[in-house]
Amino acid sequence: MRISWPARVVVYLLVAIAGLAVLFPLIWMALSALKSDADIINPNAPLFPRNWLWSNIPAAWNAAPFGRFFVNTAIFAVATTIGQVGTGLLAGYAFAMFHFPGRRVLFYGVLSGLMIPFTVVLIPVVQILADFGWMDTYQGLIVPNLASALGCFLYRQFFLSAPADLAESARIDGASELRIFWSIYRPLAQPMTAALTTIIFLQNWNNFLFPLVVTTKQSLMMISQGLTIFQGQLRGTQVNLLMAGSLIAVLPVLIVALIAQRRVVDGLMIGASR
Amino acid sequence: MAESQAVQAGPGRRWVQPRSSIEPKLDRDAVRPIRLPPLRRFRARIRARGRLWATAYAFVLPAFALTALFSIVPLFMVIRRSLYRGNIFDTDLTFAGLRNYKALFAAGGGHSLVVTATYTIGFVLVSLVAGMGIAFLLDLPLPGLKAVRALFIIPLVVPAVATAFIWFILFQPQTGLFNRILTGAGLPQVTLDNPTVAMVAIIGFGAWQFFGEVVILFLAALKTLPNDVIEASIVDGATGWQQLRYIRLPLLRPQTALITVISTLTGLQAFTQIFVLTNGGPDGATQTALYYVYNQAFGLGAAGSIGIADAMAVLLFVISILVTIAQVVIVGRAARAVS
Repeated sequence: MRISWPARVVVYLLVAIAGLAVLFPLIWMALSALKSDADIINPNAPLFPRNWLWSNIPAAWNAAPFGRFFVNTAIFAVATTIGQVGTGLLAGYAFAMFHFPGRRVLFYGVLSGLMIPFTVVLIPVVQILADFGWMDTYQGLIVPNLASALGCFLYRQFFLSAPADLAESARIDGASELRIFWSIYRPLAQPMTAALTTIIFLQNWNNFLFPLVVTTKQSLMMISQGLTIFQGQLRGTQVNLLMAGSLIAVLPVLIVALIAQRRVVDGLMIGASR
Repeated sequence: MAESQAVQAGPGRRWVQPRSSIEPKLDRDAVRPIRLPPLRRFRARIRARGRLWATAYAFVLPAFALTALFSIVPLFMVIRRSLYRGNIFDTDLTFAGLRNYKALFAAGGGHSLVVTATYTIGFVLVSLVAGMGIAFLLDLPLPGLKAVRALFIIPLVVPAVATAFIWFILFQPQTGLFNRILTGAGLPQVTLDNPTVAMVAIIGFGAWQFFGEVVILFLAALKTLPNDVIEASIVDGATGWQQLRYIRLPLLRPQTALITVISTLTGLQAFTQIFVLTNGGPDGATQTALYYVYNQAFGLGAAGSIGIADAMAVLLFVISILVTIAQVVIVGRAARAVS
């Protein structure tokens, strides 16, 4: 397709505008985080900081237990991601490869998890956790998030189209079922596992509503919830520190996402391929 | 099903050479494996099948048990509980029939459903128009456009609490950048205390955050288009616009339907930006159904009612199911129309 020069200019211009719309709030955050508070409020101050106040970032870091928040977020995101990918992989494999009594019923059972939004069952889940005495605990945060119906569904689709004769010949050679799963089929699904792990990890890292209702102790809070506490403390004052706090929350994820952008994109696509 | 079952021979089953009349005569006894007596063979097969089943159940159990405990059972709990009055600890329950639903509508629940519809429609429209537009542009064979794709997924992956708070600061009266620009242009100030501005703000943030996903999904959909049809249209002298309007968009109808449904379901789950930007206000103007559930159950403390929250959660479930059913119907119909 040949595209004329004026058309090219228009295309690049539109893409640039859209890109700027996406990036602008983040750029503004980063610049504000490094300004003095007076320069943020002052309408005549330049867009870029007059003197770069790098000290705002440690000041914000020390104003709230960000280290604790990050550790908690990492514990939660790693545990739930391993759980969701692991249980999904095992169940999806079994539903696709084995014939056993009750297979259909169990599959629809797991699949119903796709149909029931987590927000609908939020209150009874909190009641169950309260019955277990798990409110304000790591297990209360993690255990309800260990299974993913989507993962199970996607892995089942994947293994249904995987070649079955690999398992046949391995069985004739006397390999155990576990061995067949682990050494033959799990590696086959590796590209999908990589994409799914990336996107699920980012989702768990950013989970906000569930931790918000399950935890009240600061020592258990994840970064999103911790940030709201920090925002509440400084609301209306010290916008530069507030923006520095946001920067602290955004930066690690941004770096990870840009490094793994191929996988993030793949993950977004398989997540939608229901 | 029968075919796949045949392929699915268990480890106990022996591979049998198919008999055929033209088969060369072999000394079959020389290659025949040692045969067990019938009963022992039967038992071995049962044992092998038992092992297979045990493996299957062990694989399925974690996912099933967790889904049952944290999705299926709670769904029945919330439906049952929406018919009772009592506190969050489930003590002092008294049967209330549909009174919670009545109370829900008396306590602004109907307005909240309208807000949900307004937000979701606005969110889906803006996300789709922006996402599809950018996807068409990025799909053009021009240098450098591939490199900027990653840009659009950034809002999707960074914590929404942080980015929504940036928006909150941008909307500040006097000092916020939006208001400084408006003042500079001689226009009146906007504030999140205004219901319309608040709604525009949460839709704007939602679309800003989500439209990158539409871009990614649409780019993938564009790749699936058959090249020969588009080339034929170029040969026939179709302009770029005609190509888009009469060939690409109709061919993309199934994917567009699917992306619309995904966006709708995402819109129904909006929470974070409402929490950060407006807290459901002013005066319930941005209190979506989910936010209503949150407020009644957790946000308002003792002033909220669990029974009413449960009733709204049930309504939210019904809406989600209706959208999912619409997905099956619409996507199916769109797919048939194209093929």
